[in-house]
Amino acid sequence: MINRRRFLTTSTLAAASLAAPGLVSRALAQSEALKIGVPVPISGAFAANGKFATIGAVLAAEEVAAAHGIEVSTLDLDTEGKPATAVRKVQDALAQDGVKLFAGGILSSESLAMGKEVERGGGAFMTTAGADEITGVDCNKATFRWSVPTYGAINETVRPIIDALPDARKWYTITPQYVFGDGLLNAAKAVFEEKGIEHVGNSYHSLTDKEFSGYLTNAIAAQPDVLLVLNFGAQSSDTLRQAVSFGLKQRMTIVVAWASGLEQFEALGPDICEGVYFGAQYWHGADTELNRQLVAKVQEKHGFNPNYSFAGSYILSKLLLEAAVKAGSPDGAGVAEALRGLKYQGLTGEEEIRAADHQVIKDYYLLKGKARADMADKDDYAEIISSGKSFLSPEEAGCKMPA
Amino acid sequence: MNPLDKPPVQLGLALLTVLVLPLVLKSGILATEILIFAMVVAACNLLLGYTGLLSFGQGIFFGIGTYAAGICLTRWSIPVPVVLGGAALLGALTATLVGWLSIRRQGVYFVMLTLAFSQLFYFVAYTFSDLTGGDNGLLGVPRPSVGGTALNTPWAYYTFVAVCFVTVFALLVMVTQSTFGRTLIAIRENEGRAAAIGFPTRLFKIEAFAISGAVTAFSGALHAMLIGVAPLSNIEYHTSELILIMTIIGGSSSLFGSVLGAGFYLLLADALSTVWPRWLLLLGLVLVTVALFLQRGLWGLVERGYDLIFRRGRSIDSETPAKEH
Repeated sequence: MINRRRFLTTSTLAAASLAAPGLVSRALAQSEALKIGVPVPISGAFAANGKFATIGAVLAAEEVAAAHGIEVSTLDLDTEGKPATAVRKVQDALAQDGVKLFAGGILSSESLAMGKEVERGGGAFMTTAGADEITGVDCNKATFRWSVPTYGAINETVRPIIDALPDARKWYTITPQYVFGDGLLNAAKAVFEEKGIEHVGNSYHSLTDKEFSGYLTNAIAAQPDVLLVLNFGAQSSDTLRQAVSFGLKQRMTIVVAWASGLEQFEALGPDICEGVYFGAQYWHGADTELNRQLVAKVQEKHGFNPNYSFAGSYILSKLLLEAAVKAGSPDGAGVAEALRGLKYQGLTGEEEIRAADHQVIKDYYLLKGKARADMADKDDYAEIISSGKSFLSPEEAGCKMPA
Repeated sequence: MNPLDKPPVQLGLALLTVLVLPLVLKSGILATEILIFAMVVAACNLLLGYTGLLSFGQGIFFGIGTYAAGICLTRWSIPVPVVLGGAALLGALTATLVGWLSIRRQGVYFVMLTLAFSQLFYFVAYTFSDLTGGDNGLLGVPRPSVGGTALNTPWAYYTFVAVCFVTVFALLVMVTQSTFGRTLIAIRENEGRAAAIGFPTRLFKIEAFAISGAVTAFSGALHAMLIGVAPLSNIEYHTSELILIMTIIGGSSSLFGSVLGAGFYLLLADALSTVWPRWLLLLGLVLVTVALFLQRGLWGLVERGYDLIFRRGRSIDSETPAKEH
């Protein structure tokens, strides 16, 4: 049960240390409070993601409060995974609570809508949602995105596997039929064409499908060397479960291009994940300074490893709050100015917020599921095979940033 | 008739609601959403409570209105009154089509047909993403302007919606009190007898559908302007389900019951959703309670309270309940 609607943490120490290099503040007055809204699904089908996201934001708020000796509070906003509810909660937070900073939005539809609303309300919004449009054709002055879009996700999963498995020349794809799925599919087709890979077939499915056996049968009939799964969340877990029970793991290599990370491994278990490749935005085992610190803190405080929902919310909140401290105000224009072009040591190593489209340039990971016997601890589900940065230019992504 | 069901009292209660909401709610957005859904639920009530038709198609009309506003206001900058009128007209036409096909069957088959239409329209919206924005919806729907001033503050837009709400509510009260409305009740009570005495019952049902569709689509357009986006979720089957739940909780024997149903649901959701992630369980319990013990919904409770206080000795059981499905 969660009740962190109003978490308030106050540091009594006038801490001099600053958490992120490059964000040296002309700090807010110590009496001044910073508020950050965390609009995530706290109830409904995506409630588990929202639960971790709210805790992640609280940790970031505590750190910023301690580092700068200011009051920082988080305000949880339950979007219920619906754009209409998300926008209403954001409007209320802007109008009633005076919140200008927003870190959240797990689903693309709610994030796009909230980004517009925060821009209209003069705030700043940062998200981990996947839709390319967020930093593409629908980019705006107030919206920033930490996660890697579809182009990078495909390039950092498909390319390394093609290089590692030169004999795997025939690929089959399973794709959710909407904008996000088509983004992944088009990026995959471009790589196939460039590398001379034969795309032996694709099965489209709707966002409401739970039963994938028909699509898997089609995949088997096409006799591919690799099955590339382009859906996400519960649908990719269902696809993978059914693929394994159909014996596809013995017949071909399976790649899930857009995995949810630790949450998904926990839901599937090592027996299903073993030998399967996963693309991921974040992995708790990544060997970077900030990530090691985060894992240690979360283990000490909560007794678990941070998953993507936690880590994503943590870094979004931290970046926004530090930017507000640097700007001396949470107003959107100043915060955006402080964030644009910022280079910092992030959870995935060196990260940079591209000024032209507000996209964070960061690593995307290719993971491979470990056998149960090889797991060092209960969360050691996968090893990192590779990681890297692949991004379209802002012009290619279609962003025309409003003046 | 319970005095509370008299048209002037119903209209008075609607006016009172408009005046009281700003005094008791901090959020102008939430207050506006309550009024918008109150209109939607009242339109559903016209079908369920007055005509005896349990339709799972209300989300279609709500979504149509949402998209009408989204497309017209983001692409063509059509004046808002024209958009609202056009949305209502489009909703009425769609509802006429859905109603014309659905009322050919009765009972469970009628319900299944409206459910099928609901899924069909969802996938149409989902598929034609160039027009509807698909899963992402249509972004940047502007608020209307009055006298050159955009209604960008929550309470300014609330005032605009409140005027629409009172007008629509008054029109619906007039409809239910007219010969047409009385005939709908006759059809609900005994369709065979109504047909036998010469009423074209199918035509009356289609007209009820058209009015309901017009009001629902009109409200959908207001909703798109409220949240600044026309989301795919507004045309989902779940929206139809939500509208029906609000209607049943409020009670289908009175139009003001619809206002109670919408207000109760939205306030409960707003209060509980951040407190308890599984708050929908409570909603299930509320529905079970209503189905078992409060078949006239919250409005039935109000009537019972009124009778206890002002009309001791008279049983509300003598009142005719709405036909239950």
